[in-house]
Amino acid sequence: MLEAALTGGFWISVLQIIAIDILLGGDNAIVIALACRRLPEKQRRQGILWGVAGAIVLRVILIFFALQLLAIPFLKIVGGLLLLWIGVKLLQPEGEHENENVAGSAHLLGAIRTIIIADAVMSLDNVIAVAAAAKGDLTLVIFGILVSIPIVVWGSKFVLKLMDRLPIVITFGGGLLGWIAGDMLLGDAIVTPYVEGLPGWIKHAASLAGALSVVAIGIWLARRTAQPMAVVEVVSSGRHVGSEDGK
Amino acid sequence: MLKLLVPVDGSANSDRVIDHLIHDRAAGEATELHLLNVQIPVDSGHARMFFSSSDVEAYHREEGQQALKTAREKLDAAGMTYTWHVAVGPVAGTIVGFAHEHACDRIVMGEHGSSALTHLLLGSVASEVSRSASVPVMLVK
Repeated sequence: MLEAALTGGFWISVLQIIAIDILLGGDNAIVIALACRRLPEKQRRQGILWGVAGAIVLRVILIFFALQLLAIPFLKIVGGLLLLWIGVKLLQPEGEHENENVAGSAHLLGAIRTIIIADAVMSLDNVIAVAAAAKGDLTLVIFGILVSIPIVVWGSKFVLKLMDRLPIVITFGGGLLGWIAGDMLLGDAIVTPYVEGLPGWIKHAASLAGALSVVAIGIWLARRTAQPMAVVEVVSSGRHVGSEDGK
Repeated sequence: MLKLLVPVDGSANSDRVIDHLIHDRAAGEATELHLLNVQIPVDSGHARMFFSSSDVEAYHREEGQQALKTAREKLDAAGMTYTWHVAVGPVAGTIVGFAHEHACDRIVMGEHGSSALTHLLLGSVASEVSRSASVPVMLVK
């Protein structure tokens, strides 16, 4: 652990994990807010609290399983492919899949159920990516979970603003996920015997191929589904006539 | 009548813009006020997976109303006439697009929004607006 901390690889993984947490964790809080929207004021805070707690607990459980599973041959290939998909998905402007609509509950239990299901889906993305970037280093895994907590709790508005101001961040994030995926694919127990004798740059080449393919496919898909250049979308407006006008 | 577009994000800074407008109205020419709050779209596939688009839209509407609240209260108290709008989209682009579509003569906004940290890290919406707008942009310090 200490030796690892002294090498550059460790710090690169740390940066990768922070970036992943920001990119994949930002919408978690928004989903929780959406799920609790119709609750009465008092229950809303309860719902948000339970939702956040659920997100964190689910992450810990999922990452525990992910680490066990990724040791099994072939599953790193599955994980790597999933990660490529998550990267491509990140680059899509809007979810083209219309909702299954678990939502809209006016009851605390219903809202919590929605949050837990959504948490599970969202945490899965995050957990696979963090597990891949950590490469089995438990310190990094724990670090990854700890960093994601404040982002889920407070970071959503900032992440939204970040993506609004610097859209390139999303492209970068997709590329990063592809990079990690390429590395993970080569790390699978089935693949390692074949790459063992090969020079070290093979790993970087696989990562680069992963990054480039995610960005290329992601942008291509995004172009295809893009709507014609948007007119300003006004969702609400009104007029107030004042009493002291024209004075 | 001079048509003013006033982007409002609910921060103390955008409220100061409103104060300035109220203070200024006695001196200046007659103006038509348009308050605009822009909500950043919840683009994530996750939110769209679990919530209907009408749910997401209602969320944006509520957040927008919330952001407009103090500005509207100030204008109401001053007895001024105004129109308010909540739009969804990339913030700077939507402000500029709105000004264009509604043929506004001028954009009046705060130098930066709610958080000094965000401003430091990401730069301000105001500078992006003043760079890309086709009408004069007035920044209130």
